[in-house]
Amino acid sequence: MTIATTPIEWAILAASAASTAVGLYVAYQAYRGYRRHSSRPMQYLSLGLVILLGVTFASAFVGSLLLRGGVVPGDYRPGFTLLVRLLQLLGVVFIAYSLSIRS
Amino acid sequence: MSEDRDLADVLDALSDEYARAILAETSTEPMSAKTLSERCDASLPTVYRRIERLQEHDLVTERTRMKPDGGHHKVYTATLSSLTIDLDDGEYEATVERTDRAADLDADDAADRLTYMWENL
Repeated sequence: MTIATTPIEWAILAASAASTAVGLYVAYQAYRGYRRHSSRPMQYLSLGLVILLGVTFASAFVGSLLLRGGVVPGDYRPGFTLLVRLLQLLGVVFIAYSLSIRS
Repeated sequence: MSEDRDLADVLDALSDEYARAILAETSTEPMSAKTLSERCDASLPTVYRRIERLQEHDLVTERTRMKPDGGHHKVYTATLSSLTIDLDDGEYEATVERTDRAADLDADDAADRLTYMWENL
């Protein structure tokens, strides 16, 4: 079992990993903003970004490995996609919430 | 009487053109004495004297900023946000309002810029 075989699959994987890395960098800056200024909006912004980019990427990655490897039956794919989408929703809800609160 | 003394001191400090220029420059972002000397067109000793004076009245704070090469230098930030003087019933009453956080934000730091931007969105 390999994580990617065709060039396009590798490209997808590389692009996802890169966007996660850059996203987590922004999340890290938001976290520093929260620590430096005890800013609640920044706390929720960093949390939202971590969930939106880090957690969803990690779960999508691990999930597709399990599905491809046949560890988890293919029937679970829709439910798994729903889980990732719900995590994304949670991430943007955190970010929206951080915009609505005043420090 | 001591309040009158304070008011006189603050007014005295602000009567100086360089002191006002230093306050104005450092109200936008933290700045080193060297930068201030360039921006305010004043010599370094002049800048240091005015800063010392402003610090005595808590109108400016200083912070040590680390540089990427490991060294560090001091940067100054204006804490004055408003000064109001009321004359009522034969008495002057001065109120000095100070900024809290916005002035702490460091324009050279990504986290600070992001915080400022996001909180003001």
